Amino acid sequence: MLECRNCGAGAPVDKHFCQQCSRILALGRHGDYFSFMGVPRRLGVDLHELERRFRDLSRQFHPDYFYNASPTERLASLERSSYLNDAYRTLKNPSARIEHLLALEGLPPATSDEGGAKVPPALLEEVFALNEELDEIRELRVSGGDSEGLRVRLDAARAPIERKRDEHERLITELGDRWDATADTAPGERPATLAALREQLLARKYIDNLLAAIDREAAGLGVT
Amino acid sequence: MSRVVGIDLGTTNSLVAYVKDGAPMVIRDGAGDALVPSIVSIDDDGTIIVGREAQRRLLSAPGRTVYSVKRFMGQGVEDVQEASGLLPFGVGGDPGGVVRISVAGQEFTPPEISAFVLRELKRRAEEHFREQGEFDFEVDRAVITVPAYFNDAQRTATRDAGRLAGLDVLRIINEPTAASLAYGMASRDRGTIAVYDFGGGTFDVSILKVEDGVFQVLSTNGDTHLGGDDIDALLTAEVRRKIGGAAGDDSNDELIQAVRKAAIQAKRDLSSEEETELRLEPMAGAPAGYRQRMTRTDFERTILPLIERTLEPCRQALADAELGPSDIEEVILVGGSTRIPLVRRLVHELFGRQPHSELNPDEVVALGAAVQADILVSGRREMLLLDVTPLSLGIETMGGVMSKIILRNSTIPASGREMFTSYADNQTAVDVHVLQGERELVTDCRSLARFRLRGIPPMPAGMPRIEVQFQIDANGILSVSAKELRTSIEQTIEVKPAYGLTDEEVERMLIESFEHAETDIEARLLIEARNEAETVIHATEKSLCRPDFDQLAADALESGEPERITLALSAAKHALEGSDRDLILQTTEALNKATRHLAEVVMNRSVREALAGKNVRDV
Repeated sequence: MLECRNCGAGAPVDKHFCQQCSRILALGRHGDYFSFMGVPRRLGVDLHELERRFRDLSRQFHPDYFYNASPTERLASLERSSYLNDAYRTLKNPSARIEHLLALEGLPPATSDEGGAKVPPALLEEVFALNEELDEIRELRVSGGDSEGLRVRLDAARAPIERKRDEHERLITELGDRWDATADTAPGERPATLAALREQLLARKYIDNLLAAIDREAAGLGVT
Repeated sequence: MSRVVGIDLGTTNSLVAYVKDGAPMVIRDGAGDALVPSIVSIDDDGTIIVGREAQRRLLSAPGRTVYSVKRFMGQGVEDVQEASGLLPFGVGGDPGGVVRISVAGQEFTPPEISAFVLRELKRRAEEHFREQGEFDFEVDRAVITVPAYFNDAQRTATRDAGRLAGLDVLRIINEPTAASLAYGMASRDRGTIAVYDFGGGTFDVSILKVEDGVFQVLSTNGDTHLGGDDIDALLTAEVRRKIGGAAGDDSNDELIQAVRKAAIQAKRDLSSEEETELRLEPMAGAPAGYRQRMTRTDFERTILPLIERTLEPCRQALADAELGPSDIEEVILVGGSTRIPLVRRLVHELFGRQPHSELNPDEVVALGAAVQADILVSGRREMLLLDVTPLSLGIETMGGVMSKIILRNSTIPASGREMFTSYADNQTAVDVHVLQGERELVTDCRSLARFRLRGIPPMPAGMPRIEVQFQIDANGILSVSAKELRTSIEQTIEVKPAYGLTDEEVERMLIESFEHAETDIEARLLIEARNEAETVIHATEKSLCRPDFDQLAADALESGEPERITLALSAAKHALEGSDRDLILQTTEALNKATRHLAEVVMNRSVREALAGKNVRDV
């Protein structure tokens, strides 16, 4: 519950303006980007609708339109605009959106090792193998090895990782869809879906790091 | 109600504009000139001279004249060492402190010099409104533009300059975004656009998405030390090398400025001509009547590496916006340096489309600033600018690593927070070091400020929960607060950059400027009187030097009249040597009176000759 600093009326936490005196409300401790932007708490987000909401709310909050208002209202406008910008940036990006949902649902972030999520041992083995391969390619490159041959080796190393990434993308989308779909039908299944999602996200970070390492090595070989 | 204006405070030129009947327009002087050269000259008696007149003095009194001061805004001494080599004014200051410019035996900070330019623009606008017959012509509020890639210190310095000039700075906005607003007024209401802004001293590129009147910047990039100035410096160096001899002497300010002026003229010529001749006025150290043929091909070969430096920021901005060149629907050119054909060609190649330049690239930024000023005071909601912060902001953490709290290209206003803790048992204070930049190591980032959060109750290491909150306002200016959550000890600071002015300094300068205001007005009146006198003297001398003057005097003048004119002329010339304004006014007026009859006679004769000539041709 929020309290209007102008007229003292109470307002639900998701309201932006006081229903009684129509002044902009101070932000308070808000935590839910979905409800702030007035979109459902779903992983499948209609990006056009999200952008439309962003523009619409920007036109309501922006400090440009509170230039002559009271200091309280100016502060409220500044805080709401900042929060809106943060909310939009987070919800627009698929990974950030999942991270935000994890936090809302009380799970630790996918960046930490808390909460029991583990990278599958098979993936870790692949990480080690690839790192060895990359080290070898780097040494050969530095000692002036045949760059055409090294390029072929690098491409060969990249292919399976890319396949893996695509597979993870597909899984993440699938889990997201399941989480969205079970909102009304099977709420009991949802925590397990979310935990699985978190594990996939964690694994994907490893994959992304591997691909970045390959890209760096490719740049060293002069491949763009 | 007093007036609001939009100001483009440029490296080379500055302009002021306002919205009249819903449309933005720039304010011009009597001669139709909108550009006020951002040049300040200090006269022998301490008089401040700004604009065209100061530009002339760059040649006659280089040691008393400052230009391109925008390059030094918000900078520390360490930043400007290599830039200060060939400038006719001194650039120095204490290590770790703000830059100080020494000119004509006095020291100024860059915001003070900029404030002189702003005051001139304010005066020009007030004069314009007065001439329009406005009852309330005072200008006390302004939107001022800065390069999009300006950091926090540079923005704060600009805001300080506004305050010093007696302006309430309603908003600092980015130049490319301002330009897009001016274009948006006239063109279609949606699309993805790139603004390529290459000015006198800075380069910016911004990618925007425009929809339903919302101008949303997706990304921005640039270089705050790359502009037409660098092209001029390159050409000047090349010409001096070719001349050789005394031209190589770095202490010959007059000659360097003369070569620079000739080089700038050649640069301009080559925007429309394939070939030009660089000419140097005869002076010490220069071979008499020095001339040098220069083709556009030579010119382009010289400047190509400089222009190419603008392309990487463009690619980075596209990448940050997650767009390719083909996604850009319009390219807008802003800034005087975009008149160079090579610049247009390279921009065309990069984006694969013909760039727009319908609006005058010198004026478009001021027009946009005027539009934004109008939005702020009128509450009009058809258009909204959503800009971004060009550089990431963060704080120093263990091991000299920068931890980012707000990422670059975040839409502003923006906020961010991060939790920190102590590293020693019973630590009662924590130092917060605020940084700006993209690099990982603190030493590679811009240090914005340091402050100390005190009064933390003794606790084991790692126990305190210190929340550092960053808030960037709509001007792109940062404030930082820190709070220990277990005890609610809080400390808020407006980040006063290490290379900036303290509030006390700004206050003191303001008081001083009020004290100077009186003498400044007198100085201006004196300059105006001098200009008027010079005009009348020049016209009189021209008439007296006519080859047919003796005949004319015999035909039409009274006896003794030529002598009276000569007398009045020498009195006026004598008065001009001093600085007694009243005497100058009196003698000018007397000369005016003495020559009125002569002027009529000359005029009649010219008309007769013109008509006669026409008759001959008509026959």
